[in-house]
Amino acid sequence: MRTPFKKFLASGNVFIWGCAAGVSVSLLMVFGLLLLIMINGLGYFWTSDIVELTLKDQQHVTGQLAGREVIPRSVTPDRPEGRGRLRVKIGNRDLYGLDFKWVNDDQIVSQTYPADVVLLERREWGNMYGRIKALYKGETLLAAGNEGGWIALAPLISTTNALHQQITRIENIEIGSINAEIESARLKIRAFEMGNPSSPSPSTREGKEERSGPSGLLTTESTERGPIGNLEAQVADAESRYQQKTIELETLRAQFNEHSVVMVDANGREKQIPVGQIIRALRPNEMGLLHKSWTYLTNVWSVLSKEPREANTEGGIFPAIFGTVMMVIIMSLAVVPFGVLAALYLREYAKQGTSVRLVRIAVNNLAGVPSIVFGVFGLGFFIYAIGGTLDQLFFPERLPTPTFGTGGILWASLTLALLTVPVVIVATEEGLAAVPREFREGSLALGATKLETMIKVVIPCALPGILTGLILAMARAAGEVAPLMLTGVVKLAPSLPVDSSWPFFHFDRKFMHLGFHIYDVGFQSPNVEAAKPMVYITTLVLITVVVLLNFTAIILRNHLRKKYAGSVL
Amino acid sequence: MMWRHIFDQLAQVVITMGGIAVILSIIGIFIFLVKEVAPLFFPPQGTPTGHFSGTPPPEALPQSSLVGMDEYQEILYQLTAGSDHQIRFFNARSGTPMTHDLPSGLAKAHITSIARAVGSGNRFAFGTDDGHIIPVTLEFAASYEEGARHIVPTVTLGSPVQLTSPKEQIIRLAYQPTERNTLAVAMTDQGRLWYSATSVATAPVALTGHGTEPVTALIFDSRGETLSIGTAGGNLYHYDVREGTQPKLIETTSVAPAGTSVTALSYLIGDRSLAIGTSAGDVSVWMPTRQAQESLTTRFRLIHQFDVHPSPVTWISPSLRDKGFITGDTQGNLFVHYSTSAQTLLKFPGNHQAIRTLTFSSKADGAVALTDRGELLTYAIHNPHPEITLATLFKLVWYEGYEGPEHVWQSSSGADDFEAKFGLLPLVFGTLKGTLYAMLVAVPLALLSAIYTSMFMHPDIRAKIKPTIEMMAALPTVILGFLAGLWLAPLLERIFPAMVAMTVALPASVAVTAILWQYLPATFIRRLRPGIESFVLLPVIIGTVWICLSLNQPIESFLFGADYKTWFATHWGLRYDQRNALIVGFAMGFAIVPIIFSISEEALSNVPRHLIAGSLALGATRWQTLVKLVLVSASPGIFSAMMIGFGRAIGETMIVLMATGNTPIMDWSLFNGFRTLSANIAVEIPEAPHGGTLYRILFLAAVLLFVFTFLINTVAEVIRQRLRTKYSQY
Repeated sequence: MRTPFKKFLASGNVFIWGCAAGVSVSLLMVFGLLLLIMINGLGYFWTSDIVELTLKDQQHVTGQLAGREVIPRSVTPDRPEGRGRLRVKIGNRDLYGLDFKWVNDDQIVSQTYPADVVLLERREWGNMYGRIKALYKGETLLAAGNEGGWIALAPLISTTNALHQQITRIENIEIGSINAEIESARLKIRAFEMGNPSSPSPSTREGKEERSGPSGLLTTESTERGPIGNLEAQVADAESRYQQKTIELETLRAQFNEHSVVMVDANGREKQIPVGQIIRALRPNEMGLLHKSWTYLTNVWSVLSKEPREANTEGGIFPAIFGTVMMVIIMSLAVVPFGVLAALYLREYAKQGTSVRLVRIAVNNLAGVPSIVFGVFGLGFFIYAIGGTLDQLFFPERLPTPTFGTGGILWASLTLALLTVPVVIVATEEGLAAVPREFREGSLALGATKLETMIKVVIPCALPGILTGLILAMARAAGEVAPLMLTGVVKLAPSLPVDSSWPFFHFDRKFMHLGFHIYDVGFQSPNVEAAKPMVYITTLVLITVVVLLNFTAIILRNHLRKKYAGSVL
Repeated sequence: MMWRHIFDQLAQVVITMGGIAVILSIIGIFIFLVKEVAPLFFPPQGTPTGHFSGTPPPEALPQSSLVGMDEYQEILYQLTAGSDHQIRFFNARSGTPMTHDLPSGLAKAHITSIARAVGSGNRFAFGTDDGHIIPVTLEFAASYEEGARHIVPTVTLGSPVQLTSPKEQIIRLAYQPTERNTLAVAMTDQGRLWYSATSVATAPVALTGHGTEPVTALIFDSRGETLSIGTAGGNLYHYDVREGTQPKLIETTSVAPAGTSVTALSYLIGDRSLAIGTSAGDVSVWMPTRQAQESLTTRFRLIHQFDVHPSPVTWISPSLRDKGFITGDTQGNLFVHYSTSAQTLLKFPGNHQAIRTLTFSSKADGAVALTDRGELLTYAIHNPHPEITLATLFKLVWYEGYEGPEHVWQSSSGADDFEAKFGLLPLVFGTLKGTLYAMLVAVPLALLSAIYTSMFMHPDIRAKIKPTIEMMAALPTVILGFLAGLWLAPLLERIFPAMVAMTVALPASVAVTAILWQYLPATFIRRLRPGIESFVLLPVIIGTVWICLSLNQPIESFLFGADYKTWFATHWGLRYDQRNALIVGFAMGFAIVPIIFSISEEALSNVPRHLIAGSLALGATRWQTLVKLVLVSASPGIFSAMMIGFGRAIGETMIVLMATGNTPIMDWSLFNGFRTLSANIAVEIPEAPHGGTLYRILFLAAVLLFVFTFLINTVAEVIRQRLRTKYSQY
């Protein structure tokens, strides 16, 4: 036995198996990670049944099962080992203060799935589980009991949802544009005053004197008082329209909160909520597979298309997706010309020698410089140096509130462009190098200039390489967070960088980003436990984007290699 | 035809310029970062700005004059003993006296001593020849008219208090109003020391604890809790004068050699550090420090010493915004010191006229001094980052409230009188610690995988496996950080014993599989493609992990008795934090595995095939060929792979930010967190005002990261290129 064992050791086979284990562990880590994110992320959209537990102390626990585990020793050091407990999402945060509850197996008397339990998805305080007791319009009773209430509730919810859309539209778009009008008029007034501190022109002097008068405000006859007067009239007009809108909003809100529903939980605790607070009412235990699948799809869609609620822990992630995409697009617009220019120079125009080799190494190594360093540079250079100067030159009337002198989507994109420019340079160079020499020589021999050779022969051939570089740069940019934290990403942006008010693209605006959303929701939100599903979903979306981009790059690269595989050398 | 060539030439120029510009801008990044850091290390600048004539101070009285200026340094003031014009104002630019009517209360008083209250605001007390003290407040109201600033001084007198008997002259005085209390201590021409406080309803008491030694300096701290008395014998007496109590002598310290007297005392902002000047010209800072770790009693100790004045120190004035102070001597020298860094920053040479008194401006950007002959001297001081030297950044520094010199990073706190602690070493330490643990996880895993993939795997399988592992590199690190912080950290806390068991069980299970495998029929094995081992091992590893996890509690009982946390605490004195270095090691290791894997796989695959074939043909086993030939010739490539992985881990921000507690401590323990340079930038830069000291230090951290990673990557790149040329020779 001894000799074969020695022989076995000497053959080194066991070490080869050890190496194989390295591959296995790496593979397990990759797939395990993807699986973990998929299960947690995709599971969130599924509406699971509502369980009703009856405990030994005659208390009831209603909610969705969120997991089970063996009770860890740290919780019950003196208990016998191996007992389990259930984790139940009990919702009703406004009643209980907690979203989740642990229930030990040995406390449970019975476990049922009653068909009539209602799940209310609400705009605030998370889900509510319970039964309907009564439905009111103001003080008058509309329907009583779970069944009657359920039937009467459904049409009301669709009405309030429509109202909610209307209210949001008025608040965000109509009132928003009025505010923008007022703000821009005010800024023009300020700019005017600053531009003409002691102007000899009679019209402005008049305006100025009027301003420094005791009242400080213009009232009537403003049309005769020069440009400032006109602007003041504009402001007054906008303000009166604003008042009208506010009144309109008031009536809508009253309608919105007209109906209310009284819910009762399994232990008899009651809670009255306005129907306007309800987004959707479901009876998961009654739903068939088809209905649940449909709900699943609508859930996915609403996360992808809606705004976040409840400090980003609920609702959708649309602004983050939009911000990420916008940022990546602006970055691409900046990075491609510069990266291609530098690569063309290095590969086609510069004299190949030691200095170009050194530059190439430097460019290569820049890709290894930590991203936070680029963030610091972006903060110091783009925001404070360039942005600060821009503000002083073009937006002095807004100071001390900075316009470009603070983080914004433009600065973040440029910072990331700087970060990813080495990727584009390297990939483009690779693409250029793969274009066979004969192509160039053929073109030049036929009388084309170097520029024509570049534009018509070399660059089209190298296009897959350039695209590969761009896609890799996009994938890197989509996943970077650290530099963005310094250059303009925020947890909740009040408005998107693109909207309907002039000039449509607002490069100075702060924006939301999927990666930062993960950090913020997972680590900065007060209720991390309730926020976890949202983090997993965001992660899933981000990973999908990044992995898809990478796959595209790999396919393009292979395509490039195959295309020239025959002709190289 | 012409145009084509012109375009061609133009393109040549544009592309060359553009290309060079892009490359220069890359260098520009570095230059810009350095430019932002540089002001930290600029030497402080100072110039004497003015030289005016004021009132000569009465020769015989030791505390006969005080000078100062308003916040904007537009008005100088001088308080002088005597019976008229005790307060005078001057224009700080021209030196012309300003007319100002003094309150009538001063007309009747004959002033013999003047004291300034410690802290902000221009609060003073006059001591008179009949034992009264008169509180005085100077205020400067700024008004703006047509864009110009006008500053108008006002003088407010408090009601006089009888401190000593009317027959005694007050010649030394210390005075400190606090929120609910007003303290005063006066030395009279008869050599007696009287103390009074409004919170104690008794008549003034005589202090006798210092014996017969002549008193040469008196000072309260700004909270009115301690009275310090310096004597001609070089001793310092501390009285506890907290609100509502009788003064109690608590400590006597010898702060100067015998025969040298204490000539000036001043608390620095925060009341912890006491700056002491002596007749020998010594300037030092003393602090109360705890005797032992748990002891409650403190003793005054010498902490910092500064450059010695050539002649006796006459006055010390503290800065109101940091731990800086200025000192003057009898030859007219004015020195600027900074306590934390123990540095004398600036020296203004004197003109052999003794400085009687001086004051640091409230923004620490100027000073005013009064000489023996009544000359008012003004100085401008420009030193925006006084606390920063290479020593305060990287060496041990004795901070206020510490028992000894330490490396500390603590950039801010709620209090205004906080001493900022900018020791970068804990952050460098944290960076290295995180990187080390990440490397411990990543290097074995990546190298084993690379060896196997390049040497023992069928090319078809390899073509699938390699991109899969490389795909890990594309995973945003924020995702790894989130999983590490929110999923792995709580999980590992529960299954740590199973983890420990896995370190033994996993290799064992692999070895057992290997042994069992060779008993399989050879015909069966031959039909399989090389590379099957890693797939055979998948279920084995999953199974082993599952067994370990389900045996978690028995393993814990077996290895650690009851609870592993208590076991580590009692046996090794280690405390388990949920977000610790182990978690970062796994997460960051995960992030750098693909980089190390990819580069070392490339190095291994590029070892010329005919060398390997030769080795195998000569009868070496696969393993021998690997160890003796392939690894040796690829070792530079593997080394450079590790360097690049190292460089990546050093700068990683999000994982560290999310997976550790970000506490800047220096401890190698596996179970507690740390703070890295990169995470520190992310945490602190939102709070750092543009151009401030913290802002520049964070830029310095960025420069350090830049230089470090750039160097590492360059070395790695050079090694790789050399290797490539070497192989191409075959």
